[in-house]
Amino acid sequence: MSIDLNTNFGHVTITNEVIATVAGGAAVECYGIVGMASKNQIKDGLTEILRKENFARGVIVRQEEEETHIDMYIIVSYGTKISEVASNVQSQVKYTLNKTVGLSVDSVNIYVQGVRVSND
Amino acid sequence: MTIRTLDGATFAEMVLSGANHLTNNANMIDALNVFPVPDGDTGTNMNLSMTSGANEVRNVQADHVGEVAKSLAKGLLMGARGNSGVILSQLFRGFSKAIEDKETITTVDFAEAMNQGVKTAYKAVMKPVEGTILTVAKDSAEAAYKIAEQEEDIVVFMEEMINHAKSSLKRTPELLPVLKEVGVVDSGGQGLVTIYEGFLANLKGEELPATNEAGPTMNDMVNAEHHKLAQDYMSTDEIEFGYCTEFMVKFEQEKLSQHPYDEEAFRQDLSKLGDSLLVVSDEELIKVHVHAETPGDALTLGQRYGSLVNMKIENMREQHTSIVGEQKKEQPVKKEKADFAIVTVAMGSGIKEMFESLGATVVIEGGQTMNPSTQDITNAIEEAHAKKVIVLPNNKNIVMAAEQAAELADDHVVVVPTKTVPQGMSALLAFHPEQSIEDNQEGMKEAANSVKTGQLTYAVRDTQIDGMTIEKGNFMGILESSISSTHQDKLEAAKQLLRDMIDEEEDEILTILQGEDATSEEVEALESFLEENFEDLEVEVYKGNQPIYSFIFSVE
Repeated sequence: MSIDLNTNFGHVTITNEVIATVAGGAAVECYGIVGMASKNQIKDGLTEILRKENFARGVIVRQEEEETHIDMYIIVSYGTKISEVASNVQSQVKYTLNKTVGLSVDSVNIYVQGVRVSND
Repeated sequence: MTIRTLDGATFAEMVLSGANHLTNNANMIDALNVFPVPDGDTGTNMNLSMTSGANEVRNVQADHVGEVAKSLAKGLLMGARGNSGVILSQLFRGFSKAIEDKETITTVDFAEAMNQGVKTAYKAVMKPVEGTILTVAKDSAEAAYKIAEQEEDIVVFMEEMINHAKSSLKRTPELLPVLKEVGVVDSGGQGLVTIYEGFLANLKGEELPATNEAGPTMNDMVNAEHHKLAQDYMSTDEIEFGYCTEFMVKFEQEKLSQHPYDEEAFRQDLSKLGDSLLVVSDEELIKVHVHAETPGDALTLGQRYGSLVNMKIENMREQHTSIVGEQKKEQPVKKEKADFAIVTVAMGSGIKEMFESLGATVVIEGGQTMNPSTQDITNAIEEAHAKKVIVLPNNKNIVMAAEQAAELADDHVVVVPTKTVPQGMSALLAFHPEQSIEDNQEGMKEAANSVKTGQLTYAVRDTQIDGMTIEKGNFMGILESSISSTHQDKLEAAKQLLRDMIDEEEDEILTILQGEDATSEEVEALESFLEENFEDLEVEVYKGNQPIYSFIFSVE
């Protein structure tokens, strides 16, 4: 599936992979998140942190009727307020997608798949 | 007086002063907020986080600096709000870890703790963005190391450290382009500097002014910078909740006995009305800020708990329109999408008008030798501005392009592959807006196939086709898609074509579309020919003004 935009000069199609990558990129710029995790933990290895080119495995873009929903699987840093980090990710992803893709997202659902405990 | 060591009580005082100073400047910091999301809440979020930290500190009453720092870190963590709040909590988490066993600290300890804080804070981010509160914290901590090497006096140490923090803050626009664009420093960084300033003021026993004298007032900032940027990303139409609503509720015992106040429940109720919600309450008052479409409902909700004080409601659409209006010319009015639209192709002004009078939404001029491209059709589909669009290409050479355009436009566009203008007209007449797009597609296709099309044109070169030899300049009658007649004389060719087309038993109506090069004498001649040979046939003539085809005949 993809997002289609019509402009005066023609037609723009944005695939879900692009949306996933943009959303993932916006999320990892957020404070308190140490990475994107795969949706399928068993299949892809336990809470393996995804590299940029694999963000799509941790970001699911769903179009249901007229609405766009995004599910994001993330790993957060130990010692942060998880609910707050998640809500920061939500607002940043929503904002970034709107700004760069012109896509208005109806919901951004966050699944915290892991906590990275750093040895300090 | 030289202060060489810092005890828990003094540090606690510093924290309270820092929190207080931040509270006083929260609005100004809000106004600076353009990154990461320009929603103007950094100051508010940092303030709520820091206040939570300060409250914890107030409750511990310890003289052990490690204990005080720990309670600050705990309070910050629990009360962390927003990106900046979370970062702040990390900075002081690392800070408190470094000094957790210390009863008192020196400048060296302080610098070490600051650096630990920065380390912890950087660990919790995958991709640190420089030019933010993180950079300011890092630069100040690095400077603190160097200062602490030579300076034992905590006050002097603090002063110099803050100077570095401020110059780091000034550099943030160089590191983060979005800040430079708007001409502001980073809001989170400003918040951190504000906290440090509060620390220092307490050490020196100074009272800080309520607002930073150097900083512009909130309103200046809001009007000048922040809103200007925000509106680049937003059109007036996109304001979902039109009224910025602010009010306070003064609790009344009588009402509370009926409606016990529950902040979370109240926030939930308000969140249904709009966004940008902020609810702060203490024993006496609730303060509410919400962008709502029905501000009255928000006020009514508040009134359940007491009386309303200090109400302010602003129409953000009006404000936004006036701001936008100054910069841009009027934006095109977005009209509601129609349910159905029909896009079709016509050659000739007369045929165009005819399609329009039959109810086509957009008619593209083109056809035979000037076929519209997929792009033209896509544009027309967009222009039609409807939830469902039916495309009638009216030419077999355009069917492909139309189908391509439909595919690009997703599933709300279908093509009824009409190959001729008469087919297109029949299809258009069979359109029923109250039926589904699938039923229409079916019905229109059927209608298109029930009509016979004959077209009269001339040969542009000598050719042999369909077993006929045609000389350049001869007229040819084309029945559907194959050549059925050819003659040197236009009228003769037309008559032959009509004879081939019309089945006297079945056909009832003949429509003649008069082309550009067809004269009215020729039309009259055809009419009398038809009367003589097919007396039961009803004949209608329209000026199609189409090029190339002298006549287009439609029989059904």
